Amino acid sequence: MTAILEFGYVFWNPIIWLVAFVVVLVIVFFFRRQGRQDYKKDTAQAQIFLCGEEVPEAEQRHIRADNIYWGLFETLKGYYDQVLRPHTGIVNDYILWFVAVMAISAVIILIAG
Amino acid sequence: MSLKAFKRALWVYHLNTGSCNGCDIEILAVLTPRYDVERFGIKLVGSPRHADVLLVTGPVVRQMVSRVRRIYEQTPDPKLVIVVGSCGIEGGVFYESYSLAGPVDQIIPVDVYVPGCPPRPEAVIEAVVKAWVKLEKAEQGVR
Repeated sequence: MTAILEFGYVFWNPIIWLVAFVVVLVIVFFFRRQGRQDYKKDTAQAQIFLCGEEVPEAEQRHIRADNIYWGLFETLKGYYDQVLRPHTGIVNDYILWFVAVMAISAVIILIAG
Repeated sequence: MSLKAFKRALWVYHLNTGSCNGCDIEILAVLTPRYDVERFGIKLVGSPRHADVLLVTGPVVRQMVSRVRRIYEQTPDPKLVIVVGSCGIEGGVFYESYSLAGPVDQIIPVDVYVPGCPPRPEAVIEAVVKAWVKLEKAEQGVR
């Protein structure tokens, strides 16, 4: 026998939850079955409707997540062009930058020191 | 005529192929309380994939040819095409214009023509009813 957990105003019972889930599932499938079955598969009738436009491949119609920052990148284009250029992705370059900054820092410390 | 084979509501997709908007306003009038075709189950839908009937206005400009064909192909069978307005029937005031590829029946098959510039809402409703009867006969033929 499954116990009913009570938390003041609400309760939790896995059996009731499962029954409710199955009822909702049956309702969802009922409405889904009301859809039209007479369309022709593997034809344009099964394609996405884009106001009559040709539907591009999935890779081409995918909008990347960083698209949300488009306005930011476009506004600061001059800054990003300068900053992104040194970011080559090559470790040797980064080590070179590190050594160069260390050397400049060392010179400044020695002079100021 | 009672409907025996085509029992569901008639869903219509409105396609503007370069119309001046006159016919489109009359189609809108068909939906207003004065005519209110939704009480008969005639409903405008936002996708041809849900539609039984294509309601085409305009003379089909060149830019629209591939779109019109694609939308026609995307409409599930059985489907009917109604052309509303003189432009879609024979070019209307745009007759022999450089930018036209139409009229509509040179691009896709047409079942019902509604002449007028623009036609009155009553004419549009009559055309839809004729299309409905034709669909009923088509459905009966299938069964």
